[in-house]
Amino acid sequence: MTNTIFNIAARETGRLLKGRIYWFCIFLVPCISCLFFLTMMHEGLPTDLPIAVVDLDNTAASRNLSRQLNAFEGTQIVAQYNDFSQAQTEMQQGHIYGIFYIPRNFTQETVAGKRPVLSFYTNNTYLIAGSLLFKDMKTVATLATGAVVLQTGRARGQRDEQLIAAVQPIAIETHPVGNPWLNYSVYLSNIILLGILTLMIMCVTVYSIGIEVKEKTIGEWLPSGNASILPALAGKLIPQTILFFIAGIGIFFSLYIFMHFPVHHIVNMLGALLLFIVASQALGVFMIGCFPTLRLALSFACLFGMFAFSITGFTFPVDAMYPPLQALSHLFPLRHYFLIYVDQALNERSFACSLPHYAALLAFLAAPLITLHHLTWSLKNVPYKR
Amino acid sequence: MNIRQAIHQSISDCFIIWRQELTNIRRDIAVVLMFIGVPLLYPLLYGSIYNTETIRDVPLVVVDESHSALAREFVRRIGATAEVQIVAYAPSLRQARDVTDRKEAYGILQIPADFSAKIHRDEQAVVALYIDMSGLLFYKAILLATTEASLDMRRTIRVQPHDAPLATEAVALYNPHGGFASFLLPAILILVIQQSLLLGIGILAATTRERNRRRLIPVAMRHIYTRTFRIVFGKTMAYLALYTFVCFWTLVIVPYLFRIPQLTNYSTLLLFLLPYLLAATFFAMFLSTFIRGRETPMMLLVFTSLIFLFLSGVSWPLAAMPDAWRYIGYLIPSTFGIQGFVKINTMSAELWEVAFEYRNLWLQAGIYFTLTALMYYRELLKVKREELNVKRDA
Repeated sequence: MTNTIFNIAARETGRLLKGRIYWFCIFLVPCISCLFFLTMMHEGLPTDLPIAVVDLDNTAASRNLSRQLNAFEGTQIVAQYNDFSQAQTEMQQGHIYGIFYIPRNFTQETVAGKRPVLSFYTNNTYLIAGSLLFKDMKTVATLATGAVVLQTGRARGQRDEQLIAAVQPIAIETHPVGNPWLNYSVYLSNIILLGILTLMIMCVTVYSIGIEVKEKTIGEWLPSGNASILPALAGKLIPQTILFFIAGIGIFFSLYIFMHFPVHHIVNMLGALLLFIVASQALGVFMIGCFPTLRLALSFACLFGMFAFSITGFTFPVDAMYPPLQALSHLFPLRHYFLIYVDQALNERSFACSLPHYAALLAFLAAPLITLHHLTWSLKNVPYKR
Repeated sequence: MNIRQAIHQSISDCFIIWRQELTNIRRDIAVVLMFIGVPLLYPLLYGSIYNTETIRDVPLVVVDESHSALAREFVRRIGATAEVQIVAYAPSLRQARDVTDRKEAYGILQIPADFSAKIHRDEQAVVALYIDMSGLLFYKAILLATTEASLDMRRTIRVQPHDAPLATEAVALYNPHGGFASFLLPAILILVIQQSLLLGIGILAATTRERNRRRLIPVAMRHIYTRTFRIVFGKTMAYLALYTFVCFWTLVIVPYLFRIPQLTNYSTLLLFLLPYLLAATFFAMFLSTFIRGRETPMMLLVFTSLIFLFLSGVSWPLAAMPDAWRYIGYLIPSTFGIQGFVKINTMSAELWEVAFEYRNLWLQAGIYFTLTALMYYRELLKVKREELNVKRDA
């Protein structure tokens, strides 16, 4: 049996090396994706997001407020307007993401204790930009409050610590575990790149099996008679596993060595990568077993692969989805890989914490067995439909 | 042949090609799936995933080393927010970590022993917050809830006249609740239209090639497929006819079903969609001329959806995007399509306010039309040459 597997693997390696489409899917796509996402989000946390100030007060104090806001790394004041509707039009056209509004007589009313209202408007159509600006503007408002309190309080002879405590009695010291820079690329690229890998694995698995029917080479690949097709499948898929593992290591290299993204248990992550690749291949075999025609199976692989990005919950958490979708998420290898990544790479948890997800990835190996019989039959009997 | 006959001939050819293209679509289950199945199903899937919009009750575990009434009050206020729910008290940070390791909580709030004493001494107390960074929404929710609670505590602790000399007001425009569906779904809806066109047209073109000796001109109907413009127009009409319904579903019905903010009148939307559909169709037709195998479009093109989504600047802000990528984004219809649609649909912009996007979509439509026409012209030339060769050999 080892001999058969070896022979088929040798044949498959030849096919993989000759087919341009395989080179594209296995190496070029991960390369392009790494290049794209890692350079796209190179900044990590967007800086200098354009905002506008509507300063109706126009005093030294209000201008000082704008200057403080501008000094924040995340914010850049690109325009000053004397009227709010002008600023809103700019926002509508997407030139600015936020408006800082200082009302008329702001300084005067502050001193008089009339509690004027400082407003900030963010455009939450762009959620990332909107929430980042919100944070900066909120901080400036707190600082402004602090400045006024210090000024008036000192005049009354109160201690500075006392005054700070009056403005903000409880300070919050945040520890974003594993990603102290709040780097968006850390949280997006790690999963997007692997999601693209699983998409490509499923496509290539389905294609490399289905193409044998189209090219009428089933005879060369499958054993004749009633012999099991498992050795033939193994021989076909093992070279692909190796190539995809190399591609995966390339992705790891760019993430963890080139970009220095945080990773704690790298060995456990490599294990997860391998299981993740094999699980995706198993799903690919399952898909071509379900659907007799290559194009249909391929379409399904694509739909499934694209859906994985959303249901994995790395942007919008699974906990917040409807319960049936939460259950469905378990059927996606990317979901389990993501949870392992959170434990092993980000939070430095023990191997035992992620054990269920390693097991789940292994369990995907059983998926092809369900459709194996049908696959064998259809490979031998259903011709390629033109 | 006089002019009238010529015009009549070309129009009739166009229509025959149109009908033929619709037949090709109908006969290929994979194309039907791409043209109808994907735009029908995908928005529903994504819509139901993001429909809950925001996260609520993010579980938080508390390590209260202060054991004071003030600390309990603070924790109670945090638990009372919509964003966060207190699920457990742990005696130490280590044990709290066990809770987060079991994923029963996504954050730890540590209140130090001197919490109450410091507040009573009129000093600022410092609490520590450890947040799981597996999702940025957890971070946002937990931070927002604790910040609000800490400011609220001012009222419990003391009320002094100079407490807050000014008030602040934060207004989130267009997507008041910071909802995820309202933010991402409009972009996905527009992208699905382009990507399904890309895949469907790609499969159609590759099928024609496989059946007609690697050429884009069907041999059996060679007498109809004689002129570049007729072929391009005929095919385009077929896609547009189909996508009128598709667009109605994805851009009108789906937003209604999921209560996505839609602040536009339909005439503006319609005027905007015309160049987008044309640009996306010609873009797809142009790319399809390079595809050889019937199965390859899916393998080559599906992963681009993510790249195109990022290029549109809806998730990653344009202001933070490297220039090179921003300019590459200009080549893709979905970039302007998404930008414009979001402004029109979500921010109630008028057509003149999206003039930049609108103009560029027409420009793209023109360029990709020309390129497509050139590619088909070349194909026709090649076919003619091959026919001549065959004749000469005979």
